[in-house]
Amino acid sequence: MSDNKHRVTRRQFLNYTLTGVGGFMAAGMLMPMLRFAFDPILKDEAGTEMVAVADVKEITTEPKRFDFKVKVKDAWYESEEPKSAWVYKTDKGEIIALSPICKHLGCTVDWNTDKEHPNQFFCPCHYGRYEKDGTNVPGTPPQAPLDRYEYKVKDGKLYLGKAKPRGEA
Amino acid sequence: MKWTGEDVAIYERERDYIDTALLPLLPVAFGQGTRRLASGGELVQLIAAEVERQLRGRVFLLPPFVYFADEPRAQLVERLSDWTSRLEREGMRQVFYVTCDRAWQEEGEASRVWLIPAVPLESMEESYKHELVREQAAELLRFLVGRWAQR
Ligand code: FES
Repeated sequence: MSDNKHRVTRRQFLNYTLTGVGGFMAAGMLMPMLRFAFDPILKDEAGTEMVAVADVKEITTEPKRFDFKVKVKDAWYESEEPKSAWVYKTDKGEIIALSPICKHLGCTVDWNTDKEHPNQFFCPCHYGRYEKDGTNVPGTPPQAPLDRYEYKVKDGKLYLGKAKPRGEA
Repeated sequence: MKWTGEDVAIYERERDYIDTALLPLLPVAFGQGTRRLASGGELVQLIAAEVERQLRGRVFLLPPFVYFADEPRAQLVERLSDWTSRLEREGMRQVFYVTCDRAWQEEGEASRVWLIPAVPLESMEESYKHELVREQAAELLRFLVGRWAQR
């Protein structure tokens, strides 16, 4: 309840300032708040924040889904956005962390749920498919591979950063 | 997709793909039963939002259909069926309702109704609440995916 009250007053405050002459300045001050904050946090050299998602021991060659939360601050209030990643190790031991967001229209893909096409990522919305490494299967709606999370391993834990289109990650 | 400027812009481009409307039916009352209805409505909206997040490429989550719990039923049924046929005329191939109001299950359109149990959320621990929303959302998701497969 106290939380709610807080929201309302802050919103009122913003309404007043944003509609007033100082609106421009207030907006400028608020913009830097539109960012992601992770918890628990690791910062890499570039200052990017990363969140601990799994123990490296848990990662096998079979993609597994790990759920985590990312704090999102916007101008009104702070909230937590649920996220997940499909994580596995290649035969060479390289870790791959894929975003589950379908590149077609954004549904959440699942691993190995389409009986006719085993060992692929499958999108229940329009039956988009991706290979294990995230490459989109031609002839299905998605036009790009699944994004990959930037990751780091520290003290036996896997930390994930931003999901980036392949080629950039 | 949600009822936001950004999502509606996507909807306008991709109407062929976003063919399923999800409409929360939210009863409101003051006095008797208020708390239970508010809790139920809260849960319905949490679950609907989570399902939208996972199926946003095909499901359009509409702003809720709100009514007083003691409004004459026949009028409500008529208003809802008007909403539904408008949505269908606009190109929604399937329209589903998500609600904690059992009465809708007794109406003619029962096959569109997904009922969520009214659980007193206010006394629930945060972690349990998350678990509940996750589970209920997974069930609703399976229901929708199952309906798509039937077409
Ligand atoms: S959203 Fe995944 S195939 Fe359309």
